[in-house]
Amino acid sequence: MAVIVRIPTPLRRLTKNLAEVEVGGDNIESVIENLEENYTGIKERICDEEGNIRRFVNIYLNDEDIRFLDGKATAVKDGDEISVIPAIAGG
Amino acid sequence: MLALQLDTLDRIHEHAKAEFPDECCGIILSDGAREFVRECRNIQNERHAEDPETYPRDARTAYLIDPHDLIRVHKEAETEGRPIKAFYHSHPNHDAYFSEKDKADATAWDEPVYPDAAYIVISIYDGEVRTTRAYAWSEADTDFIEMPIHEG
Repeated sequence: MAVIVRIPTPLRRLTKNLAEVEVGGDNIESVIENLEENYTGIKERICDEEGNIRRFVNIYLNDEDIRFLDGKATAVKDGDEISVIPAIAGG
Repeated sequence: MLALQLDTLDRIHEHAKAEFPDECCGIILSDGAREFVRECRNIQNERHAEDPETYPRDARTAYLIDPHDLIRVHKEAETEGRPIKAFYHSHPNHDAYFSEKDKADATAWDEPVYPDAAYIVISIYDGEVRTTRAYAWSEADTDFIEMPIHEG
């Protein structure tokens, strides 16, 4: 199964400047693992040392924030679109 | 220089007044000819209430754009051909400057998240807008620097 992952600007140097990449996986966690296999270094940017998604990183399955689905265990299917979008915040 | 339509400035100033004493936040899209102000929800108070250790500040001194609003505006930017021109937020009872937290949060993995967008800060004291300033990433300075706002 393959999904489209939309990559934010600061991570595109890891994806040969591609804004969208296609990888396999049946849930968000395996999609991240497969991203890492193709684009070394991307996992440690998305996840912390314990493997949790960093709090300033939003991951969406289609238009839904995975925090409101099943987090990393959220199932994905062929053709789904996953967006990685850093949070917008400040003081 | 950041050229902004008068309407856009009016709208973001009204938003800052409406949210006072909390910070307002939002996104400005542009198709080149027109600007589109998209007010976003500041969810800082909710995060602060849930986890004050991780989020020590409340919405009077911080903002966090609701992730639902963020994806909605991203989709609009893409499907309607209106790229993100700027982000804005207010500093209630503080001056308009790009704080260390603003810089840190506009950077991810040691790089600017949106190198082509401006960040607008509105200073509002006691419900009255005092100053509005804009900042953007400068590759030459490897820092965020002030950009004069041109109205009209």
